[in-house]
Amino acid sequence: MDGIIETISSFAASEPAIYYLIIGIIGAAVLAAVINLGAMYIVWLEVKLLGDFSARYGPNRVGGRWGLLQIIADAIKLFTKEDTIPKKADKPVYVWAVLVACIAVMLVAAAIPFGALYINGTNYPLVVANMDISAFYVEAALSLMAIGTFMAGYGSNNKYSLLGAFRGIARMISYEVPMGVCVISVAVMAHSLNLAEIAQNQSLWYAFAQPIGFAVFLVALITDLGRIPFDQSEAEEELICGYNTEYGGIRWGLLYFQEYNVMLLGSVILALLFLGGWNGPIIPLPILSTISPLIWMFMKVVIILWFLIWTRSALLRLRIDQVTDMGWKVLLPLSIVNLAWAVAVGSYFA
Amino acid sequence: MTTASDVLSSIQSAFPGAVLESKVESDRRLWATIDSSKIVDVCKHLTEKLAFDHYSGAAGVDWIARNEMEVVQIMTSHGAHQVVAMLKSKTPREKPTIKSLANLYWNANWYEREIWEMFGINFEGHPGLYPLLLGDDLVGAWPWRKDFKGYPDLTTGKRAVERPTADGYTEYFIPPTPAEIEAGTVPIKLKYPSYREREEAEIKSDAEMIMHMGPQHAMLPGPFLLDILVEGERVHKAFLDLGYIHKGIEKIMENRSWLQGITYTDRMCYVASLTNNECYCGAVEKILGVEVPERAQYIRVILEELSRIQSHLIGTGEFLTLIAGVGYAPWNFMIIDRERIISMIESVTGARLTHTFVRFGGARNDLPEGFADKCRDALKYIESRTKEYIELFNQDPIYHMRMEDVGALSAETAKRVGISGPPLRAAGVAYDMRKEDPILAYPDLDFKVITGTKGDCADRVDVRLREILESVHIIEQCLDRIPSGPIMTETKVPKKIPAGEAYYRVEDPRGEMGMYVISDGGDKPYRVKVRGPFYATLQTLPPLLEGVYIADVVAIAGSMDGCPSEADR
Repeated sequence: MDGIIETISSFAASEPAIYYLIIGIIGAAVLAAVINLGAMYIVWLEVKLLGDFSARYGPNRVGGRWGLLQIIADAIKLFTKEDTIPKKADKPVYVWAVLVACIAVMLVAAAIPFGALYINGTNYPLVVANMDISAFYVEAALSLMAIGTFMAGYGSNNKYSLLGAFRGIARMISYEVPMGVCVISVAVMAHSLNLAEIAQNQSLWYAFAQPIGFAVFLVALITDLGRIPFDQSEAEEELICGYNTEYGGIRWGLLYFQEYNVMLLGSVILALLFLGGWNGPIIPLPILSTISPLIWMFMKVVIILWFLIWTRSALLRLRIDQVTDMGWKVLLPLSIVNLAWAVAVGSYFA
Repeated sequence: MTTASDVLSSIQSAFPGAVLESKVESDRRLWATIDSSKIVDVCKHLTEKLAFDHYSGAAGVDWIARNEMEVVQIMTSHGAHQVVAMLKSKTPREKPTIKSLANLYWNANWYEREIWEMFGINFEGHPGLYPLLLGDDLVGAWPWRKDFKGYPDLTTGKRAVERPTADGYTEYFIPPTPAEIEAGTVPIKLKYPSYREREEAEIKSDAEMIMHMGPQHAMLPGPFLLDILVEGERVHKAFLDLGYIHKGIEKIMENRSWLQGITYTDRMCYVASLTNNECYCGAVEKILGVEVPERAQYIRVILEELSRIQSHLIGTGEFLTLIAGVGYAPWNFMIIDRERIISMIESVTGARLTHTFVRFGGARNDLPEGFADKCRDALKYIESRTKEYIELFNQDPIYHMRMEDVGALSAETAKRVGISGPPLRAAGVAYDMRKEDPILAYPDLDFKVITGTKGDCADRVDVRLREILESVHIIEQCLDRIPSGPIMTETKVPKKIPAGEAYYRVEDPRGEMGMYVISDGGDKPYRVKVRGPFYATLQTLPPLLEGVYIADVVAIAGSMDGCPSEADR
């Protein structure tokens, strides 16, 4: 299946490679703008929803009664704050940690189809790098994020940060495995490792075809995102702010932002793998028909985000030993059961 | 049931000549001056033969006119009988020394350390006389002695001198005056290892490190120093130190008129200020011998129970944020519920937190018009909400994973370490001052003492929530029964309280709050000793934290519902 960039490029196929490069750069820029803006408004959605859940208002001053510009104001504040680096920090590690985290997120984003455009009866997935193994690649690149947070914790030379970094790694190791097995189960059922194809070919949502896999993947995803009940690496009441305790200003802002970027990407991956991606009825109106896959995708992602934020206001934080116990003793066996199920019945869904 | 006179005769027969002076105030109070050489034996006798298993605290008193110091041991029992024995032992003012009870009662440790640093009374056989509330530099001046002139000395003008320390900070020290040098009374710097050195001596291997969980930490309700020695996620040892908000309220109250003292009791713990008021005023009323009119008694009960409800709500809510993060919705629900109660209290007292409402012999204001109906509405709301919270926590599996069997205290241990209030009752000991030492209208009211079974964090929260329901029940009865009549006693309360002493106990939301008030007949208290509940609870914290995970440190410390402000006073 062709992605949007290949499709555009194929019109200019006779032209020299420079066009391919220019389109690639434009794609990357658009991608960075979209996911960062998206992440900003996830922050807004979170504070607004958390306010609603706990019977408060949330931001309601900056940018009208919905507080729509609050997050912009926050970003400006973070950019203009003094940049401080702790005297005893391991300076290169401390500085590069933020960049590693950003790069990890962009690597993941590059291979994810964020939606599709419906043109002349065909869906063109909106993806920058349309790989054949994108499901596998995304799963691998996502764990790079943990390297960034570990560097941040280790480089800060702070006891809270160090413990936060340890917790982050322990959590990542125990949850990437069941998560990976779930991705494999989906690939077995879809006969493809390409995220766009997996999404496109889901006539029956895999959430229904393999419910155990869906549950395991959801829990592993929340863990990977480091959200309550799995936010042990930040656990503000125990470790002040965990791995980013020593960060301030825009450095902290970027680290914090990557979490929301990953949250956005994670929701998109969940929608693609288990919730039928952009599949849905095409709206029979001139422009809406073109973007109707995009609308379905957007709705699914917002619902997943809403769910993720809901857990934060409803659940308590687990202890780190309980988290690793659950990863190895519950989720891993369940994910293997699910793999067996996918192998057994997979051919019926192909 | 054992009465105070039984206890006295038992001591007299077991130790002839040990009781120098004695007074049986009532069936529940025994005042006795014991020969200081026999105090340990007498206490042992009380504990073993007469079920005095609750060492409630100790107070130092400086009798400068008589040139002697006194240590008052407060002994009582966990429900076997209701006698409070106030055992005094005297020691000369020069080189004051008393035998330590710290080897007999585990919780005597802190009380004796406090008396040592404040009065300079040396406790023989104490395992570690280190300063608790004061900084290391201030030890040796014995600030609560009556002849203490203050740091810096107010009579000689500016005395504290700035000097830089090796770390680049500024410290203040007080050089001796020429007169002191001439008289040879230069305060000698005491030699003992500093807090930091004591802590670092416990590090056994390279894998261990000391982590601060205070005085500046997100989990603390107020500043106290809590250091944990961790290996990975496992806590090996915990260290605790107080004094970060030590206000010296007991000393301040010695320098303010009797009435002004009430405002200081507010500030000891602002979420429980009404019970603190009650405790102080009750003690003074006892010295005066005035009877509080019945209507005032009911008003005081209503407000104190309302205050208990709001304190438990904020205590539980705050605790939940410690294990769930501030985004946890029930926390804000509890604050919203608490607002209903606060506004009820505000409609009577005019203040939200620091009420200064209770007066000697009555209460300041009567209930406003329509209070009963509004209060019943609010109580109905609180009752339904509290039941919801209980149900919510019963159903939440993560809640059970985090709370069950965490920080469990057995009934035996809880009694031995002198903890009180919900943590003690959660361990299954039905010990409540409202039953043990009933005051005001409590004897007429029908309520039960809530107890738990396991004494873990879940039980502590559960006991608090069910106590809210019980308080609702108490207030509803009060609203039904409250008689009309005056709210202040007929007898005029004099400016100078006649000489005498009293020990008065109330059930604070956090446990047993007792005040020992001495009057020498003047217009100011001669001595006010506050026996706060959280002081006792904090002392039990370090042993409870040994061997748990870091996340459990937060759960255990939070489940105690702390108020360091009251512990430091």
